[in-house]
Amino acid sequence: MKALKKLFHRWEFFLVVFLVLEFVVFGSANPKFLRVNSIMTSIVNYISVCIISLFVTLVMITGGIDIQAASIIGLTSIIEGVLWSDAGLNIWVAVVIAIVAAAVCGALSGFFVAYCGVQPMVVTLGGSFLYSGLALLISGMSATPAYQGISGFPAKVGKTFVNFRFLGKGELLGIPMQIWIYLVLILLCAWILHRTKYGERLYLIGVNQQAAEYSGINTRLVIMSTYVLSAISAALAGTLLTSNMNSAKYNHGSGYTLAIITAVVLGGTLNTGGKGSILGTVLASLIICILRYGLPLCFGVSTQNLDLPVGIILVLVVLGREIAGQHMISSLFKKRG
Amino acid sequence: MNKIKDLFKARWMSSLVFLILLFLITGIADHNFLTYSNIINCFNTATMYTLLAIGIAFVIMTGEIDVSIGATLGLTAAMTGLIAQSGGSIGKMLLVCVAVGAAVGVVNGMGVAFFGVPSLIFTLGTNGLIRGLIYIVTDGRTVENFGGPIAYYGNKELFGQITLYYALTILLVAVAHVLLTRTRKGKYFIAVGDNPGGANLVGISVFRTKLIAYILCGVFAGIAGYVFASKYRQVMTVAGNGYEMTAIAACVLGGISLSGGLGNMVGAAIGAVIMSSISRLLVFIGLPSDYNNTITGVMLIVIVVVDSLTQRRSIEMSRRKRLLSRTAVGAAKGGDEA
Amino acid sequence: MTGEMKKQNQPCTLSVKDITKSFGTNAVLKGVSIDLHAGDVLVLIGGNGAGKSTLMKIIMGIYRADGGEICIDGKAVNMTNPSAALAAGVYMVPQEPMLFPNMTVEENILMGFHESSQELKKRLAKHMEELGFKLNLQRKANTLSIAEQQLVEILRGMMREAKVLILDEPTSALTFGEVQALFRVVEDLKSKGISMIYITHRLTEVFEIATDVAIMKDGVITLRGPVGEFDKEMLIRGLLPTDAEMQESGRTAYVPVPYDKLKPVMEVRNLSGYGFSNISFDLYPGEILGIAGVVGAGRTELISTIFGRDKVLGGTVKLDGKDITGLPTARILKEGINFVPEDRHYHGLFKIRSISSNTTSALLNTDEIGRVEINRKRQNEISQKYVDEFRTKIVSLEDLIGSLSGGNQQKVVIARSLSTNPKVVILDEPTRGIDAAARGDVYNIIHQLKDAGVAVLMVSSDIEEVVELADRAVTVFQGRINGEFGHDEITQDVLTGASFGIAQKKAVSE
Repeated sequence: MKALKKLFHRWEFFLVVFLVLEFVVFGSANPKFLRVNSIMTSIVNYISVCIISLFVTLVMITGGIDIQAASIIGLTSIIEGVLWSDAGLNIWVAVVIAIVAAAVCGALSGFFVAYCGVQPMVVTLGGSFLYSGLALLISGMSATPAYQGISGFPAKVGKTFVNFRFLGKGELLGIPMQIWIYLVLILLCAWILHRTKYGERLYLIGVNQQAAEYSGINTRLVIMSTYVLSAISAALAGTLLTSNMNSAKYNHGSGYTLAIITAVVLGGTLNTGGKGSILGTVLASLIICILRYGLPLCFGVSTQNLDLPVGIILVLVVLGREIAGQHMISSLFKKRG
Repeated sequence: MNKIKDLFKARWMSSLVFLILLFLITGIADHNFLTYSNIINCFNTATMYTLLAIGIAFVIMTGEIDVSIGATLGLTAAMTGLIAQSGGSIGKMLLVCVAVGAAVGVVNGMGVAFFGVPSLIFTLGTNGLIRGLIYIVTDGRTVENFGGPIAYYGNKELFGQITLYYALTILLVAVAHVLLTRTRKGKYFIAVGDNPGGANLVGISVFRTKLIAYILCGVFAGIAGYVFASKYRQVMTVAGNGYEMTAIAACVLGGISLSGGLGNMVGAAIGAVIMSSISRLLVFIGLPSDYNNTITGVMLIVIVVVDSLTQRRSIEMSRRKRLLSRTAVGAAKGGDEA
Repeated sequence: MTGEMKKQNQPCTLSVKDITKSFGTNAVLKGVSIDLHAGDVLVLIGGNGAGKSTLMKIIMGIYRADGGEICIDGKAVNMTNPSAALAAGVYMVPQEPMLFPNMTVEENILMGFHESSQELKKRLAKHMEELGFKLNLQRKANTLSIAEQQLVEILRGMMREAKVLILDEPTSALTFGEVQALFRVVEDLKSKGISMIYITHRLTEVFEIATDVAIMKDGVITLRGPVGEFDKEMLIRGLLPTDAEMQESGRTAYVPVPYDKLKPVMEVRNLSGYGFSNISFDLYPGEILGIAGVVGAGRTELISTIFGRDKVLGGTVKLDGKDITGLPTARILKEGINFVPEDRHYHGLFKIRSISSNTTSALLNTDEIGRVEINRKRQNEISQKYVDEFRTKIVSLEDLIGSLSGGNQQKVVIARSLSTNPKVVILDEPTRGIDAAARGDVYNIIHQLKDAGVAVLMVSSDIEEVVELADRAVTVFQGRINGEFGHDEITQDVLTGASFGIAQKKAVSE
C-alpha cells in the first residue's frame, strides 16, 4: 500500500499517465496516429534531442547546465563530412575523429566550469558560439559550399542501406537502427546513473558539493566528465543525423538547445542538481515527440507552430509542480504542528 | 583624483577599454576603418541589442535570467508590422509593443518571483509559448510590405550620422542607468541580487523587485521589437531567434555578473556594441564573416574565465590575509609579553 | 524594589507570549514568553539548538510562529515579514552579518529607507559620532572584517531608530578590544531607553551588560530574572542537563590512558597554515584529545588543513610514521583519518539523499560497496549496522536524511566518518545543534571509539564537553597552542582562562 502511494507521488508516474493520455486522445481523434511506423518515424525525427537530453541529465544532476551540446551536433557532422569527402579518410575513421574532437570540446568547457568556477550557463553559452563558429569555419575548408551540405555518403545496395548510412537509415527486425541505438543509450545511461558508483557521485555532488569533497570525492573531475559525456552524446546524435539525411552540414541541430533543456526539466530533473532520473527524461522526450507528431496529424496544427503547445505544457507543468509542492509542504506542517 | 581611480576600477570601464582596443586593432589591420562614419555605424547597428541588453540586465542584476526576450521581440515586431499594414499610427504600435512586453514581464515575474519556478525553466516555457503566439498572430506568414512613417523613421539619421533610434536608445540607457544607480528604489535591483536574505531583512520586497525587473525587461524587449520592424520592414516568424543569447553575452561582456548584484547599464550598452560590431570589424580585419561566432565564443569564454579567476583569487587572498593576520596578532602580542 | 514596581506598571516595549514553532516533526519552540521594558538588556543564553535564533527570527518576521502573540508597546503586531517588524521598531543584528557585499558601507546602511538621502546622511554622521565609529563609508562591504560588518549592522539598527534591538551573538567574531567598544555602545543605547535582547554563549558577558537574564533550553525558557539575582554558578547549573539526562549518558568510572606504553598514532610537528601557526601535538590510540578555544582561534582551520581541505604552509603531519602532510582529502581518507565537520548542513549532509547513501558516501573510493556498480545490499548492511549501534531513530534506510532530527542526522554523519574504519577520527563540534538525549548518545559513541582503540581528536567550544570527555586537552589561542592539560588538570576554569589567553598569564605575572 505504501509502495503504491509512493508510486503515485513519483514524477515519472505522472509522466506515464500524461503519455498514455496523449495516445488515447490522439488515437481517438485520428486512428492513423496509431500506426507504429509513423510513431517510430516521429521519434527518429527527434532523435538528437532524445539522445542528448539523456546525457545532459547527468550534467544537470551535478547542478550544471549544458547549452552547447546542440552546436556540437553541427560540428561533428561537418568534421565527418570534410574528413571523408575532402580529406578522403575512411568514413568510420572520420566518425571516430569527430567524436574525439567533440569530447575535447566538452572537456574544455567542463574544465572551465569545474576548475575555474565559471558559471556553467556562461561557459556553455560561450561554447555554443565557439563550436558553431568552428563548424562554419571547417565547412569553409570543403569544396562544397557551406549551405549545400556534403552528401553522397556510402552506401546503398539495392534497397537496403549499408555501411555508414545503415546507422541512420537501416533497420533491424523492422525497427530503425536509430531507435535501437537510442534504446542502448537509455540502458547505458540509466545503468551509469542509477547503478554505478559514478552515478552515485553525480547525485552527491549535485546535492552538496562541499560535503562530497569531505567524503573524498574528486568533485571537479567528475563534474568535468559530465560535460565530456554530453558532448560525446551530441557527437553521436550528429553522426546519426548526418547518416540519416545523407548530408553533413555545419548548422545541423541549431535550435535544439531549448528543446534539450525542456526535455530534461520536464523529466523532473532539478535544475539546482541532486535529483532526476533517466526514465523521467526519456518519458518527457517521448511526450514532446508524440505531441509534435500528434498535433499536426490529428488537430491540424501547423508543423511550424509546435513551440506553443510545448511551451504551454512546460509552463503549466512546472507551475503545477511548484504549487503542489508548496501545498504539500504546508499541509505537512499543519498536520504535525 | 580618487573618483577617477574608482572610475578605472569599475567593471564597465574594462569593457569600454576592450571595445576601444577592438577598434584600434581593426584600425591597425585596415586604416580605412578608423573613420567617423564607420565607428558611428558600429553603434547604430547595436540599437536592438542595446535595448534587449539593458532590459535583461535588470533581471540578471536580481540574480535571475530571461530567455524569452528573443521571442518577445519577434512577437512585438510582428504585431508592429501588422499594425503598420493596417495603417495604424506609430503611437499605437509603441503602445502595443510596450503593453505586450509588460504583459510578458508580468507572466514571467509571477512565475519566477511568486511561484518560485527556476527562472531559466519558466522563461524557457514562455519562450515557446510566445513563439507559438507569433504563428497565431501572423498565421505563420512573414509580415512584410508595410511602409508609411515607420519605414521613414527606420534608418533616419538625427545628426552626425547617429540614427534617431540609437539616440533615443542612448537616452533610455541613461535613464535606466540613473534609475539603477541614483535612485533609492533602483538600488533595490542590485540589493536583491547581491543578497536576497539581507534585502528581505531591511524590508525590501524581493518579490516586487523581481516582478518589476521582469516587466522592465519585457518592455525593453517590446521596444526592441518595434525597432526591428521599423528597421527591416520584414518580420519572419523566427525573428529574434537566439537574440536572447546575444543579449546575455552582451551583459556578461559588459561586466554584469550572472549571479546578480554586480554591474550597470552602461556596461550592458557597451557589451551590446561589442557583440554587434564584431562582424563589421572582421570585414575590415580581412577575415570572412564566418569567423563571427568563433571570435565571439572565444572572447566570451576568455573574458568570463579571466574575470572569474581574478575574482576568486581576490576572495581567496582576502580570506588568507584575514586568517594570517589572526596568527600575526598572536605573535606580536606574545612577543610583547615575552 | 520600588524601581522594579514602577517598571512593572509601564507597558512593555516588547512582549512575546506563548510562541510555538515546529519545523516538520521537530518542535523548536514550545511556548516562549518574554517581556522587555524600555532600557532592559535581556541576555539570552542557552546551548546550540535551544531555539534562541528561531525565536529572534520570529520576532523579526523572518519566520512565522505557529502560535502565540507579539506585542510592541502593548499593541499586538502581526509580524508577517521583516518590513512589519521594521515598521514596528524592531531591528535584528543577525549572527552572520547580512550585508550587500558589492555595495559601499553607506549604501548598505541607507538601503531600504524612504527619507531623503541628505537627511539620512546627516543622521548617519550623527550616530557615528555618538558611537565613536570610524569607518570609511565608501569602502565596499566585501572588504570589511567581520567586526566591521557587525558595526555596520549596528549602525543600521541605530538608523532604524529601533525601540527593540536584537543582537544575536554579536561578539562571537570580535576581538577583546572590539567587544569592549560594543559594550560601550550597548550601555549608551540602554541609557537612551532602547530595549535589547542579547544572545551569547559567554557567561562573563552576562554580568557586564545584562539587566535581565534568561536561560533557554529545548524550546522553553527555564530560568529568568534580574541579573542581580544570579551568580555564575547558578547560570552554569541552569545550563547543565537535568539529572535525568545526566544519568542517561551513563558514564562508568574513568580509566586512565596508559600513555607510557603507547606510541602516538599521529604526530603533528610545527604545522602552520592559514589561521594557525606552529602547532605541535601527539595523538595516541585510544585517547580523546580535546582542542578548546574560542570561535575564530584557528581550531577548525587546523583540523580541516590536516584533512586536506586547505594549504599547509609549513611543518609535518605523520600518521603511523608516514608523512601525510598536504595530501588531498581522498588520500587522507585512505590513509585512515576521517572527519565530522562542524557545519553539518554545509559540509556534512546530502539532504535529499537516503540515509544509506549518506552513511556510505565516504566508501565510494573503496571497493567496500562494489567496484563499478554499487552494491545496494552491502550499502544497506553497513548503514543498518550503524543505525543499530547508534540507536538512530529512522523509519527506513531509504528515507531522506533531511527528514531526520538534528541529533539523528549527526549520528549518520558520525557513522559516515567511521565507515572507513579510520585510525584517527576528527570531530569538530560533535554535539552542535542537537538535543540533550542525542548528545548523550553521541558521548557514548565517542567512548566506544576510545574503547576500540581509535584516536579521537575533538574540537569543541563547549568547555563542559571537553571536561567530560577528554583524556587530554590543548587550548588554541590566536592560532597557537597556548596550553596542554592532562586529565586531572582539565577543569572549566582552566580551559576557559586559557581559551581567552588570560588566566595563565595572570597566574605567571602575579
